[in-house]
Amino acid sequence: MPDANPRNLRNVREITRRDMLFSLARVPNTSRILVASSENKVLELDAGQANPTARELADHGRYVTCVRLAGNTVISGGYDNRLIWWDLQANRQIRTNDTHTRQLRQLAVSPDGSKLASVADDMVCKLWNVSDGTLIRDLRGHEERTPTHFTSMLYCCAFSNDGTKLATGDRVGRVCIWNVANGERLSTVEVPSLYTWDATQRIRSIGGVRSLAFSPDGTQIAVGGVGQIGNVDGLSGPSRVEVHDWARRTRVHEFQGTQQGLFNKLVWHPQNHWLCAIGGGGNGFVAFHNMANRTMIHQMNLPMHVHDSTFSEDWTTLYHAGHNKIVVQEMRP
Amino acid sequence: MTLNSSCGSPEHPVSRRGFLTSLAAMAGTAAVADMTAIQVLGAPAVANELRQQQKRVIMLWLAGGSSQLETFDPKPGVPTGGPFQSIQTSTPGIRISELMPKMARRMRDTTIIRSLNTRNADHGSAAKIMMRGRMSEADIDYPDLGAVMSREMGLESSQVPDYVSFYTATEGRSMAPGHAGFLGARYGSMDLTTSMVPENIRRVNISELDHRERSELRNQLSGMFERGRSSSSLDSHNQAYRRVSGIMANEQLFDIEREPQRVRDRYGPTLFGRQALAARRLCEAGVPFIRVGRAWWDTHAQNFESHQEMVPELDHVMSTLLDDLDERGLLRNTLIVTLAEFGRTPSINSSVGRDHFASAWSTTLSGCGIRGGTVYGRSDASGNRVAEGEIGAARLFATIYRALGINPHKNYYIGARPIPLTDPGTEPIREVLA
Repeated sequence: MPDANPRNLRNVREITRRDMLFSLARVPNTSRILVASSENKVLELDAGQANPTARELADHGRYVTCVRLAGNTVISGGYDNRLIWWDLQANRQIRTNDTHTRQLRQLAVSPDGSKLASVADDMVCKLWNVSDGTLIRDLRGHEERTPTHFTSMLYCCAFSNDGTKLATGDRVGRVCIWNVANGERLSTVEVPSLYTWDATQRIRSIGGVRSLAFSPDGTQIAVGGVGQIGNVDGLSGPSRVEVHDWARRTRVHEFQGTQQGLFNKLVWHPQNHWLCAIGGGGNGFVAFHNMANRTMIHQMNLPMHVHDSTFSEDWTTLYHAGHNKIVVQEMRP
Repeated sequence: MTLNSSCGSPEHPVSRRGFLTSLAAMAGTAAVADMTAIQVLGAPAVANELRQQQKRVIMLWLAGGSSQLETFDPKPGVPTGGPFQSIQTSTPGIRISELMPKMARRMRDTTIIRSLNTRNADHGSAAKIMMRGRMSEADIDYPDLGAVMSREMGLESSQVPDYVSFYTATEGRSMAPGHAGFLGARYGSMDLTTSMVPENIRRVNISELDHRERSELRNQLSGMFERGRSSSSLDSHNQAYRRVSGIMANEQLFDIEREPQRVRDRYGPTLFGRQALAARRLCEAGVPFIRVGRAWWDTHAQNFESHQEMVPELDHVMSTLLDDLDERGLLRNTLIVTLAEFGRTPSINSSVGRDHFASAWSTTLSGCGIRGGTVYGRSDASGNRVAEGEIGAARLFATIYRALGINPHKNYYIGARPIPLTDPGTEPIREVLA
């Protein structure tokens, strides 16, 4: 089957919602998706329908910020500091964990589905066994305070394709690379261009590492967010990605989007066909980059700020969740 | 006459000579204005008694517009409420944002007003309204709260400034500078922008002995000149020199390094904390009005993360300041006003921000004259409208004046024209007054 072609990307469906959707997971080989809602719940709905009915799963009682699916288990986290584990088939809660002391920001499931990583504003990454929900270990490498003495935040995490490495990224632009097997910190990569501290005009900050993706061979890490911002009142800086050789701690590539805002999601094609960067400012955008010749393949705007996205198994369908909308896109060969 | 603010920015360099000259001129002009144009209706004895009570105000000015929903009027569980919970305060039934646990523990001296509808959501004009308590009028240049306090509470014999304003961020600084209006520049602000110590009072190249000898020579020459003459202008010049000399002698007041390390640690390492500590020192020394500007809260994007960054700082600094003033016996005579030009929209925009909003927002008053542990007014369930106890800027200012023992209905006069201190018919909120 020929490869999906990003140049053929087009919107096929928009589902309007009243809530903000901060995270998205998809049930394999279906158009059923799980979304993390500002209305405090994890919802399941069929993005193949024009007006789908949402089924309520876990209730966090506060904003849900992250949801992932591992086998038949839905795991979600939110501002309630809890992880909730939910049996999708039996439609019941399996367990909760409340060992994070601040709100959770993101989850990642290892490629083999055996491990879960969670990051929270307690600046700890926790590694879990998916099978029984036991904690494997804490990974600590991010400062609780910014250099100017304010609260920091730990935004994102991502496994390498072989599952041996894990990356975590924080507000001030620090990325830690971890050995999943033993918890050793393999490297620390600083990406200060993604963090704007305005010491003169507004005396506050914006930005941070919002998305991470390993290269297919695991030697490079793509780091996404927003570049330096002149006016931190808005997301008025260039959407930005840096690619680093994490072992050598050197930047090997960088690109900035033409749109202003955050790259909240990075997906690196497993055969290195492209790196897809998705996010938003006032509205949303998606961009495909050819990492071999370092050129832009295609980019287009989306009707809402996108917080999370996922591809279908054949890479032809792209599901986006964001501000008051779900958008489905296709890119046929 | 307008004050050439010594803001310290490159655009407005002010030399020491210029500063002293303008201050002397200001004092002279104001003294003349006092006697010919502006009179205060009320017995001098009452005014003097007020001054002797040494009432003071520290204003924490949250420039740019902090969110009431992430501070003093949380709405968890509704679509406009955002992600943060409310927490119980030390006063049963009063809940504030979970981002303010320290203030939650010490509500005893604070009243929250949750029903401001100030009808103006433009930074510049709203800031002026909230600093002056009223809208500008074409033919009346109203003074701001600091200038009124300077006028009402400043002691003629004081060797400290009457109105000090810290505002370091450049954004919004020009939107509501200290403004004496028709009271005259004598009551204007000493603006500290690039430094916490007034640059123009530093005795850079002159020893203490030289300084004293020069002062004595000036006094001698002045005394010779005055012999056989009587002039309000001469008096005001001498008064101005005495004040400048006093301020210079009190240079250390601005220097927080003179505080013990444990006290500096208590206020914390941020600029806002250090300026709040300086404000406490000035307050202790008798400065009637100090504004500490904390900018810039204009969170059109990433509102929750920005408030997660800034509100804990506000919580820490405000609670520390209240504790410190209380422990020093200053809180009963010092009013802490925590105020912005407006609040922020309940609706959350696509950049996860909140925009300008003046229809239902909050402020707090703490300390002097205030019935602590209270809430006045109520916004509706979504926070979009005032549901109960709506007030505007005028009523807030009438309440502030009354808390300080100043009659909010008193008149100033420009010529024969009476200018009421607050808009006519405005009554203080009696429910929040001690």
